[in-house]
Order: sequence, then structure tokens, then C-alpha cells
Amino acid sequence: MTNNASEPMTAATPVRALLSKPWIWAFLAAAITFGATSLIAGSGAGSLFYAALTFASFSAIVGIGQMLVITLGPGNVDLSIPASMTLAATLALKFMDSETAMILPGLLVAIGVGIGCGVINFGLILLLRIPPIIATLSASFLYQSLAIWSNRGLRIKPPEPLAEFATGGALGIPNIAVVGILLAILAWVVLERAIAGRWISAIGQNLRAARLSGVPVNAVRFGVYVNSAVCAALAGFLLASFSGGANLNMGTEYMLMSIAVVVIGGSSIGGGNSNVPGIWGAALFMFLIVSMLNSYGLGAGIRLILTGVVIVGVVALASRKGYDV
Amino acid sequence: MTLKAIMLGAAAGITVFATTNVVADTSDKRIALSNNYAGNSWRQAMLESWQKVGEAAVADGKVASADAFTTSENQATEQAAQIQNMILQGYDAIVINAASPTAINGAVKAACDAGITVVSFDGIVQEPCAWRIAVDFQQMGREQVKYLAERYPEGGNLLEIRGLAGVFVDDEISAGIHDEVKNSNFEIVGSVHGDWAQDVAQKAVAGILPSLPEIVGVVTQGGDGYGAAQAIGATDRAMPTIVMGNRQDELQWWSDEKAANGYETTSLSIAPGVSTLAFWVAQQVLDGNEVPKDLTVPFLAISQDELEDALKTTPKGSVANVEYSLEDAKAVIASSK
Repeated sequence: MTNNASEPMTAATPVRALLSKPWIWAFLAAAITFGATSLIAGSGAGSLFYAALTFASFSAIVGIGQMLVITLGPGNVDLSIPASMTLAATLALKFMDSETAMILPGLLVAIGVGIGCGVINFGLILLLRIPPIIATLSASFLYQSLAIWSNRGLRIKPPEPLAEFATGGALGIPNIAVVGILLAILAWVVLERAIAGRWISAIGQNLRAARLSGVPVNAVRFGVYVNSAVCAALAGFLLASFSGGANLNMGTEYMLMSIAVVVIGGSSIGGGNSNVPGIWGAALFMFLIVSMLNSYGLGAGIRLILTGVVIVGVVALASRKGYDV
Repeated sequence: MTLKAIMLGAAAGITVFATTNVVADTSDKRIALSNNYAGNSWRQAMLESWQKVGEAAVADGKVASADAFTTSENQATEQAAQIQNMILQGYDAIVINAASPTAINGAVKAACDAGITVVSFDGIVQEPCAWRIAVDFQQMGREQVKYLAERYPEGGNLLEIRGLAGVFVDDEISAGIHDEVKNSNFEIVGSVHGDWAQDVAQKAVAGILPSLPEIVGVVTQGGDGYGAAQAIGATDRAMPTIVMGNRQDELQWWSDEKAANGYETTSLSIAPGVSTLAFWVAQQVLDGNEVPKDLTVPFLAISQDELEDALKTTPKGSVANVEYSLEDAKAVIASSK
């Protein structure tokens, strides 16, 4: 599927090695839900896969940012993701004002807003010593209010070429998914091959030990929080371009979604251990499970219960395997 | 007995006012809006309408002030505290769009006991001392199916886009739709929750479309029609008749399709300006007029012929709106008597 498959495997027992990866369960779950939905969809399976790739991209992009934050260890979580998405999308679309020439500056505005949100988030955490959950939550009121104040909830259309890029695709892969996969590969390289990634994991495993061994703890945390806000801003920018404008409540579902894809993807909720391919598996699964239950015509109550049960099941399997390693 | 006493009191009040103040009986009255949520374009338009009509009413000397307050968290407890503050600040009337039909009843009762007129609208309260300007949500669902039945007398398959699961409004609109479908040749072949949000609806519809047979119509709850159109437009399906919900992007899309291929549909919703209807109802109560406790909000429907006019007056990215006048309020009151 869409994982970058660059994890080293033991040649002798590839299947066992594969099963020992925590992220495999998210992909298995996604594949099973896809199969079950395809039974009804029949020839529509292709377009279902295309839709799943498209919508999973947004969850994957915010999930990558959230994953690095959660990796920093207990208590680290970014709850300002929905508000950062909304603010970045609102300001960027207002700035572009549907003008084609403004696409690149508009993207820079969105990223700039993301950096700003990240700096404020970490400023509250470091300077005022507010716990991250409270700091990011309270900052999100600020961002949301700014978004309301700046545009009073009016939807401004994205420039035509940008909307075409966001809704288009090539070779059966949506453009948005290409962006999401490239970001995932980048995150994987940073985490697994760069010193910064080692630092992030080290802080999550033992903050004190990391600090004593010379890891620039605050600089790394700063980078991670800014990265999360930038990912959120980028996802907001793409989502608004995809769906024809920014909405004040466009980010709402990404609060829980960003955390869910991290946990289902096999990253440790306690920090110190992150898992990039799992983000994509989980993001696909989260879209497909809703599509599957909708396609089977189940009521909202049963749908929510089943979604909860399946998520608990996948998390239980993924974390059990995680401890075996 | 008590009713008679109240009537006598009111009559006495009117007489006193009439003799002491001949210009307007409510010129020294202060009205406050207690609003539970501001996070979407409908609520933003609602607040703007309130401000516009309120400021004009203050300038005309109809009331002394018309202030709007919104809670940040959409929490009943927070709104109850806000209402308590309004009581202490001595407002003469409080107009409420409530976070919960029951949870702020205590605060509403306290306001009534302090002699304050309480008018709830859209999100109404059950406390009997308050006035209720309610939306007939079931009717909203029925109207959609009735329109589609006229278009497709032979019936066909429908896709239903619902709102936020577990919310009263969603259950009511859906009940109206399903009720009316029983009287028609339609069959609802799929149902998804779009949370009244364009992007959520787009996602949900894209997910269920591959497993649906051919559909002739889409019934909606407002704010989700454009998302459905986007999702269906991305496939090679024929575009079904999507009932719209007065949002500007929906109307714009409809107008573009109409120009391109004569696309026909209808659109209906509640105008955000219903806050101004509540404002005038509160003013009428303060004025000593007899107003029934239960009033119904009129729908704002846009037909094929009215589309261009509606689109012209709807701000880009907002929702079709009308502000109600004192005369409109009087008409609504008269029709409910």
C-alpha cells in the first residue's frame, strides 16, 4: 500500500518480522475494512480507494505533527491543531483572495501562521511553565478568535489552479496524497536517520537522562511544537483549497483524529517511540471504517460503538506487539 | 385567577405607560442577547443581523440598548452564569439562543422571577416562563421530500445527509424526511452524517458513493449541499437533485450549474436574521402586547426563479439572510394567536 517499506527486515523470517512491526495492524485493519466495503461497492472499489487516499492525507499530515509531539513524552500533546488549521486556512485564503498569482505567497502566509502558532504554544509552555495540554488548549481559543475576527466566517474561494491541484491527481494517486506521503517519508528520515530524531526519542524515553547526556532539550521541544503547528497549518491550507474555502469549524474533527492516528498507528502514547508508516495505515483505516459502516447502512449509534470497539482492538494488538520488540 | 391578574397588571402597565410616554413605550428598555456559539458563518450572520437591527432600533429610540454576548465554550453552565450576570446588570429583556433546552432552565427562571422578559429562539428553552420562537424542523425535512416528489413523481433512490449525531435538530429533520418518504415512491438508500459542515459532508459522501446505486436526489440539513456536490462531481455519476441550504457557495454552485445545463433544485433554511425576529418579539412583550408563548420561525426558501436575486444579496461566503422588521414580528405574532 502506501507505506514507504524501508524498514529493515530479517531475511529469514520476513513474515514474523513484519508481524512484529506495530504499524502492520493499522494497515491490516485498513485492508480488512477496505475489503468489506468493496463487497458492497463492487466496481466502485477503485474510487473508494482514491477517496480514502485523499481524505487520509489530511489526517496523516496533522498526525505526523502530533506524533512527534506525543513522542516527547507524557503530558506532551498539541490541542491547538484544529484552531491552527482554521487560522492558517482563513488568513491564507483571505490573503490570496482567489488570485492565482498569490498562491505561493498564500502558502507562505499559511506556513508563517503555523510557525507563529508553534512559537506561541511553546512560549507558553517554556516561559510561563504551563503544562502543554493547557497551554495549547488556551492558545487555541486565541487562534480561533483571531480566525473569527479576521473574516467573520466568510468563505473565500481558493485560486482556481490551487483548487485544481488539491482536488486533482495523477496515475490514480491524488496530489494531496503525494504531499502527505512525501511528508511522511521526510518525517521518517528525520526520525530514523537524523540526529534530531534520536534526540526526540531520547527526550521521550527519559527527559533527565537526555538532558544530562547533552541533548539540547528545549531547542528540540521548540522545533517539535513549531513543526506540529506548521503541519496543522499546511493541512488546513490544503483542506481549504480542496473543499472550496476555509470554514470556522473545519478543524474540529482533527483534534481527536490527530491523536487517534498516532495511537492506532502503533506509536507509544507514553512517548519515546514513534512510528511513521502507522500514521498512514491508521489514517486510511479511520476513513474506511466510517465508509464501511455507512455503506452497510448502520445507524449512528451502532456506528460509533463499532468504531470505538475496533479502535480499542487495533490499539490493543498494536501495543502488545510493540512490547514484544 | 393568576392569568387574570397578570392581564390586569399588564393592562394597568399599558395605561400608565400610555399616559406618561407617548413616543415609544420601550425607549428606556435594555435588551441583551445571550448567544451560546459563534463558530460558524450562520451564527456570525446572526450576530451581525442583531447588531444591525439593534443599533438602528437604538438610534430610532425604540430601545435604550441591544447588546450581544456570546459564550466561548458552548457550555450550558457558562451560559447560565452569563444569564445570571445579565440579571444583575438589570436588563429588561434577555433574548437567548440556548446551549441546551433544559440545562439553563434554572437561570431562565431566576430571570423571569426578577421580572425580566426572556425570549428564546433557534435553540429554545423549555422553562414555561420564557417565550419560544421555534423552528419546525420536521417540516423542514418534509418540504424537501415534497419538492423532490413533485420533480420525480415516479420516485427513485435518495441519499440522506444528516447533521451531528445525537443532536435534537438532526433527529427532527431526519424524522420529517423519513416520515414524508413513506408517502412517496422514494427509497433512502444511504445515510451519512455531514455534521452540517461542508468538508465533513464531502468526506462522508465520497466514502459511501462507491457502494450506492443510482440516486436521483440528495436530502440535506443545510451547510452540506456544496460538499455533496463536490463529492459527486468528482465521480462520473450523473448529478442528482441536491436540496440546498441557502449557503452562498451552494447558491453559487447551483447558479453555475443552472447556467451550464439548466440544473434545477430548491433551497431552504432558517435565516440567521431570526435573531432580529426574537429582538422585536422581546420589544413587543416589553411594550405590553399580548404575545403567545410559542411562535414558529418562517422558512426562507429560494426557488429556481428567485436564485439570482438571492445570490446578489448574499455576501460572498455567507448565508442567505433576511432581517425581520417590527411589522414582520407583528405578523408572526398575529399568525400564532
